[in-house]
Amino acid sequence: MSAPTVSRRSPTPPSTPPVGALDSGRSSATPETTRRRPWLTILVAIAVLAAVLASVARGVYRDGPLEPDAPTEQGSKATVQVLRDLGVDVQTDRHTDDAVEALDAGRTVLVTAPSDLSGQQLTALAEAQEDDGGQLVLVQPDFVTLSYFTSAISPTGSLRTEADLTAGPGCGDLAHGARQVHVPGAEGLRGSSSVYRTADGAEGCFDSGDGSLVAAEDGIIVLGSADLLTNAGISEAENSALVLNVLGESGELTWYVPSAGDPMGSSGQSLVGYLPDWAGPVALWILAVGVIAMVALGRRFGPVVVEPLPVTVRPQELVLGRARLLQRSDARDAAATSLRSATSTRLADRLGLRHESALDGLLAALAPHTDRSPEQLRTLLGPTPVTTDEDLVRLAQDLDRLEKEIDR
Amino acid sequence: MRISLTPRAALAALIPLPVVVLWPSWWMLLTLFVLWALVILADAFAAPAPTAIRVRREAPIQVRLGNEVTGRLLLTNTTARAAHLEVRDAWNPTAGLAAQRTTIRVPAHERRAISQHFTPTRRGEHSSRALLVASCGPLGLARRTTRADAPGRLLALHPFGARRHLPSRVQRLREIEGLAAIHQRGQGTEFDSLRDFVDGDDVRSIDWRATARRRSVVVRTWRPERDRHVLIVVDTSRTSASRLGDATRLDSAFDAALLLTALAGQAGDRVDLLCIDRIPHVSVLGSTRTKVLHDMVTATAAVHPALVETDWDRAAGVIADRARRGSLVVLVTPVDASVVHTGLLPVAARLAKDRPLVVASVADPALEELAADRSDVEDVYRAAAAEKARAERAGVSRTLERVGAHVVDAPPDSAPQALADAYLALKAAGRL
Repeated sequence: MSAPTVSRRSPTPPSTPPVGALDSGRSSATPETTRRRPWLTILVAIAVLAAVLASVARGVYRDGPLEPDAPTEQGSKATVQVLRDLGVDVQTDRHTDDAVEALDAGRTVLVTAPSDLSGQQLTALAEAQEDDGGQLVLVQPDFVTLSYFTSAISPTGSLRTEADLTAGPGCGDLAHGARQVHVPGAEGLRGSSSVYRTADGAEGCFDSGDGSLVAAEDGIIVLGSADLLTNAGISEAENSALVLNVLGESGELTWYVPSAGDPMGSSGQSLVGYLPDWAGPVALWILAVGVIAMVALGRRFGPVVVEPLPVTVRPQELVLGRARLLQRSDARDAAATSLRSATSTRLADRLGLRHESALDGLLAALAPHTDRSPEQLRTLLGPTPVTTDEDLVRLAQDLDRLEKEIDR
Repeated sequence: MRISLTPRAALAALIPLPVVVLWPSWWMLLTLFVLWALVILADAFAAPAPTAIRVRREAPIQVRLGNEVTGRLLLTNTTARAAHLEVRDAWNPTAGLAAQRTTIRVPAHERRAISQHFTPTRRGEHSSRALLVASCGPLGLARRTTRADAPGRLLALHPFGARRHLPSRVQRLREIEGLAAIHQRGQGTEFDSLRDFVDGDDVRSIDWRATARRRSVVVRTWRPERDRHVLIVVDTSRTSASRLGDATRLDSAFDAALLLTALAGQAGDRVDLLCIDRIPHVSVLGSTRTKVLHDMVTATAAVHPALVETDWDRAAGVIADRARRGSLVVLVTPVDASVVHTGLLPVAARLAKDRPLVVASVADPALEELAADRSDVEDVYRAAAAEKARAERAGVSRTLERVGAHVVDAPPDSAPQALADAYLALKAAGRL
């Protein structure tokens, strides 16, 4: 006791860590240590790469009804491919301007969705067709649409059921070599197919009774069903003969798919147009103010503080686990034995017996303190088998009661 | 130094909105934005530099867990302008700092204090991870922030709840020593004095020779040995991490160790402490009698359980180095089948051979509750498992007692008293 000191050192070699460095649980961890997870970054990178590769492998195409590049059921890649193989020059257009130009140049123009076009677009197409006589193929136009082009053809009804239509004797060239075409009923791409009545100057073909599926007048050909052109429908009956001959006749085809982004398609003054001219700058300024407010409010004043909490362990896990094991294996006798021996030990302690004394000694010592018969006591404390759960519960409660009796 | 915006900066950005309405052009927007940014920058640089604010900490060094302690942060403004400051003192949450953020105005060339109230909720070392001082501009649109260099540390000491049991144990000790007026024969080896026989004295302690010289009967008293050595070894391995009630087993173990230290200090014994798991890591050795309790409380404050096994062989070596023959060794470790089978038993046998050995264990009170609840099948199976566990513990205790150790196994709220009583019993029996 010459030099009283409080030492905080390890008597083992000096290289061993001092206090607080034994593990992270007891050391005050530096708060700045941010744990990066490289594997997460790698996983995300792999996922992105896989997505890109999958889309490349699938091929880039635009899917939609009668899209010329789409290999799906509603697309028309088959038709376009065969036309190209036949030597037809097929171009895809998405704007009315381009379609009008193509008509002016004398090409055949297929309008896949004439009903989507506005009056202005339809007028432009009709005028171009009348001036230069390029052929215009309309897929399932409605009454209003048709009225821009001709008055001789008008829709009269629709085919709700699946049907095979035969080219009648009066068809002539309009059948284009097809003897029979097949159209699905109401399950078609655009619902049921339309049939048209033809007035003077117009011809119709593939009569269904109500009207013709295909009609023509003066460079305008009306196809009553979009399913004639789809990948799914082109192979039915002799649809292909009709379609390929109609579209490939002139050797030059423009496949016009109306799009929402068409400048001619927008219906003039929109809601935005009614706003005053300062609305845009003001909106931008308010947006900027919002961003500034978020930056200002989202400021973190100093680091996030990490608490080095000490470890704690639940101590009863082992006991509870053992209880569940006993219960699952229905080890009633084992449970009863442990309860009985615990009670016996405590009773023996209380009565001043040695722990090692046999059951008989304990029973004899107990007899004067309780009003139970020796047989009852023996059943309770002796190794009597326990058969049901109810018996086990009753035994446990009886043991408890016995202990309390002796307590008094 | 960082410049950041205040929410007021966003409000200020709304002011030029009428200008945008009157002259709605993109150029105007750009001009206004640049103007706004210039105003913000000007405000930020009009603020007194936060680096020119001197910060000094008057922090308390230590506090007993459960008590409140007050510290101060002194901010001195060395600039010629008044400073509007925002201060964040980033203590870890369990340090229990009431308000981490403060707004304060310090006039030019003056000093202001921020008072801080700490109520730690966790034993151990607490520290301030960062002290940030932000200086706001005169318009309050922007602030400049810097990190001040004023490290803060606070040691939350063990609450030592068992100290309320100290007076009664010291009283018992006095009785044993014969200093208190009590009819008891001292059991030590050191002859103390002769005194008159009073009713109740042990007849065996009558000094017949002295009685013959005088008319009255005289008894001989001894006093227990003083200046003995007690070595307390606390196991900080994974078994001490068990949560019993609302504290860990280690907390109860320290409670018991501290009560024993205080009592042994009163009895005139020297106490050393060793915390051990895989390696011995904290020890209090050779402190003077008056300082030992303080040293021990300070040294154990930052000790927490580690998830490792105790290396009892190495521990035995260290204990043999520290404890001479005849000094009392107290092992504070759970009496558990797993612990005993990892090598405690041979070590205990070796230690108990030439010195008194007490194995103090903190029992789990939940076992008793589990064993008592017998309302349905699941509870009965649990009771059976708990009884089995208790029987195992009792068996282990008996095994330890057979090799010569005294085993004290008590739940957390009575473990310190039980250990102190075991010490007093050893004293009274003259074993120490």
